[in-house]
Formats: sequence, C-alpha cells, structure tokens
Amino acid sequence: MAVTGMNFTLLLPELILVATGILLVLLDLFTEQKRVLVYAGLAGVLASLLALIPGFGTTASIWADMIQVDSLAGFFKIVFLAVTALALLVSLEYVERRQIQAGEFYALLIFATVGMFLMASSLNLLVIYLGLELVAIASYALVGLLKQDGRSVEASIKYLLVSSATSAVFLFGISLVYGTTGSLALPQIAQALAAGAASQPVLFAGMLFLLAGLAFKVAAFPFHMWAPDTYEGSPTPISAFLITGAEAAGFAALLRVFLVGLPGLADAWTTIFAALSVLTMTYGNVTAISQTKIKRLMAYSAIAQAGYVLVGLAVATGQGTAAMLYYLLVYAFMTVGAFAVIILVANSGAGEEISDFRGLSQRSPFFAWALVIYFLSLIGIPPTAGFFGKLNLFSAAIAADMTWLAVVMVINSVISAPYYFKVIRTMFLEEAAEAEPVRAPASLTWATAITLVVTILLGLVPDQVYSWVRLVAGAL
Amino acid sequence: MVPLPYVLGLAALLFSLGLYGVLTQRNAVRILMAIELMLNSVNLNLVGFARYLEPDRPGGQLFAIFVMTVAAAEVAVALAIILVIAHRRDDVDIDKINLLKW
Repeated sequence: MAVTGMNFTLLLPELILVATGILLVLLDLFTEQKRVLVYAGLAGVLASLLALIPGFGTTASIWADMIQVDSLAGFFKIVFLAVTALALLVSLEYVERRQIQAGEFYALLIFATVGMFLMASSLNLLVIYLGLELVAIASYALVGLLKQDGRSVEASIKYLLVSSATSAVFLFGISLVYGTTGSLALPQIAQALAAGAASQPVLFAGMLFLLAGLAFKVAAFPFHMWAPDTYEGSPTPISAFLITGAEAAGFAALLRVFLVGLPGLADAWTTIFAALSVLTMTYGNVTAISQTKIKRLMAYSAIAQAGYVLVGLAVATGQGTAAMLYYLLVYAFMTVGAFAVIILVANSGAGEEISDFRGLSQRSPFFAWALVIYFLSLIGIPPTAGFFGKLNLFSAAIAADMTWLAVVMVINSVISAPYYFKVIRTMFLEEAAEAEPVRAPASLTWATAITLVVTILLGLVPDQVYSWVRLVAGAL
Repeated sequence: MVPLPYVLGLAALLFSLGLYGVLTQRNAVRILMAIELMLNSVNLNLVGFARYLEPDRPGGQLFAIFVMTVAAAEVAVALAIILVIAHRRDDVDIDKINLLKW
C-alpha cells in the first residue's frame, strides 16, 4: 500500500486536539490550579481552529481514503470546536464547585471532540464507527463523573447500555451492507447500488439497521428513551455538550452514510425520515409541556429540535442539507447559551427545577433576558437565528413538494411556545425567594455574551452564512 | 469450506439471542454479556463475508479486529461504572436504578 496518502498538514487539527488531550492529563498531575487546564484546553481548540485554515476549500482523500477532508467536514469541525470551547468555558466554575476530577473531565471532553471530527470527516464506515465509539466511550465516563450523585451514575449506566446495544445494531447494518456491496467505502457502496445491488433485500435490511443505529445517536423517536435520563443526570455542561456536539456529529454521519453511500435507496429512506421527523418533533414538544425540571425540559426540547433537523434528510435535496447545516449551527449556539444560564442558576445555590428560576429578572437581568432570546430562538420567532433556521427547513420542505411536512413543523412550533414561555413567566412574573443578585463568574458571562451575539447576528444577517452552507451542502 | 449461508444464519441467530438478552435481562452485567453476543455475531458476519467476497484482501477481518478492540474498551468503562453502582448499593439490577423519571 502506498504511503503517498500520508498528509499530516490536512490532519493537523485532529493531531493538535489529541496532543491537547494528552497534555491536559499530564498537566493535571503537576498543577493544583485546575483553571490552567481550561486555558490550555481553549488554547488547543484555538490552535486546532487555526490549523483548519490551510485545508479550507480543498477536497482530498487521505490516509488510504480513510479520512475525507472537504468543506462539509470543515463546517462540522468549526461547529464542534465552537461547542467544545463554549463547553470548556461553562465548565470552569461548575467543575470547581462540584469537585469533579478536572484532568479527566477536560481531557475526555477533548477526546470526545476528536471522535466527532472523525465522524464528520470520513467516507469509510470503519472510521465512522470508530469516531462514533470514541465519542460514546468518552461520554459514558463524562456523564458519570459526578460520582457522589446517584443520578449521574444512573444516567451513565443507562446511556452506556442503550448506546452500546445500538452500536451493535449499527455494526450489524455495516456488516450486511459490506456483504452485499463488497465495500466499506461509501462511494463504492453507492456504485454497487447503482450497478443493481439496490434490489437485494439483505441490503435493505442493512440500511434499516444503519438508520436505527444512527437515529439512536441523534435521539429520534422512537429511539430517544435514553436521552431525557442521560441529559438530566449528567453534569450540566456535559448535557449541553452532548445535546449540541454529539447530536451534530450524529447528523454528520447520517448525511454521509445516506446521501453519499445509499442514494440508491433514497425512495425508501426519505419516507422513513419523514415519518421519524414528524413523530420526533411532536413527541418531544408534547412531552416537554409537562416537565418541571429545566434540564429534562431542555432534553425533550432537544428531541423536538432533532425532529426539525430530520426534515432536511426527509427532503434529501441540496437545499434541505443546507437548511440542516444552518439549523445545527444555530442550534449549537442557542442551546449552549441556554445551558450557561441554567448553570448560573444552579451554581447560585438554587436547584435545577423550573421554579428555581423565580425572579431571575431581578436577580440577574442580563442572564434572564439572554435566556429569553435563546428561547425565542428555539421557538423560532424573528428576528432571532432560530427563525431563519426553521424558515430554511420550511422552504426546503415546500420546494420538495412536502408541504404537509412544513405544516407539521409550523404546528409544532406553536405547540412548543407554551413550555418555553412557562420558564420566561417564572423568571419575570414570580417573586424570587431571595432577592440578592446572582454572582456571575466571568467565564459564564463570556459564554453567554458570545452565544447571544451569534444568535442575534445569525438572525439579523443570515444571508452570508446561508450562502456559505449552500456551498458546503452543494459539495457533498 | 463451510457454505456462506450457514455462517450468516449462525450470526443472525447469535444477534437475535443477544438482542433478546438485552431486552429481557435485568442485571447490568448480564446485559453487557448479551451485547457482547451481538458484537460477536457482527464479527462472524464480517469474517464470513470477507472470506467469500475478497479472500485476498483483509478488509472484513480488519474490521472484526477493530470491533473486538473497541468492545474491550467499552467493557472496561462499563465495568468501572457498574463497580461505582455496586459500591453504592448491593446489586446492579437495572429495575432498581430508578432515580431518574418524570
């Protein structure tokens, strides 16, 4: 096998992250100042972002076609790095307060990001599987790091058992697809499909297994049952990280596997994705209404949002893909922002019930208003970024002659409004139990300010970013 | 040489057994064992297909080795978490692990 494919420059972002992760483990041994780890982690993320620049716009298949460097991978890597940087920022105070082992926490966070990178930047099922497992194994440990809290450990074991069982299902799908098409590389699989393998029932079964396996990763109904427990029990910054980053990585893998590898079966899987999308958004929104815990509410809201994003796969057009990418980008920022406020409230001594948000508008007006903007964006009210995200998905559905799906989306947005407004009402209309202002650490203020600016900017000037994601989607 | 359908049939049987175990067992360690069965059925599939599809290239076998390695890592983390639970309480019956619900 030729070694001409060894191109380290294009792999530099991943290599820097791995080095950062190892460095964090070592640094943890030598310093009592655990804040240093966050700064080192942020520096690593920034270096990785800079290392992305040389490879930007190039399309190359390196390392014996195992790693694909293209604009889609570039887009997702930027999203993952942004999520990781924000997760590091919001963790700073949280990790100190809960006495989590800082070295393990930050290093695993970085390693999970490497896994997400691999999921988004490969056209080979083996590497996609390895990336998926790297994310999963790192997150099992991250979810359970609050060892003194029974709920965290419980969330961890539930996540682990369900996720490894579904990984086995995903693998079984891979083995069937490999057996019927003779290849693990998605482009070759697509060729075999075009050459007539599409009619084989075994291949169809393999496609279903792949779909079920990945639907678990993005918490689509009826494969969602692990999500609320996991997101509620895990350390709050990890909930934010998994809901945004791991879910985006799941969608990246879905896009690669289905649009690149299995376009020959598009008739079948678009129907399935349309059904999943409707069920997922409706289930998420309806169940969220009755929640009393803020993290569980965000978990069901995340399920509903995954349903919206699935619309892009149901239409399976370039426009649909672009709308998905735009929504995932917007979603990452608004959700991490909302979790920053949740962490602030939890750190101030109150708990994680919705009633703990009473009177937040007096105790900390900036964060209360920030949460209002994130929630308006999650509902999809202009001029926030979430509005344009939904509008893009909506018009993609109409352009693909699936007006009914667009209508379901709009109805769901209306259903979703009450539970977000319930939190807003609690913050603004109910008196706080204690009136003293909430002390906001600089890290949380920064994370909130950054996400707030992005959420508003992507709503006010969406065109530049949208034309970029159109390009990215076109190159898929 | 064993015909391919035999290999695939055995793999499918193992996979179903594993899935049945995952769905019916209540002890966390037993569920892990059932998941291992599912993974091994995948390995059997991969190796069987590789033998017939591309006997001169190691694609499928290579994948099977990766699956085993990852499974070992997964079990290591799983047992660590189960140990934490076992320290907190005496059994690892997942029906009794029920702090999180709405």
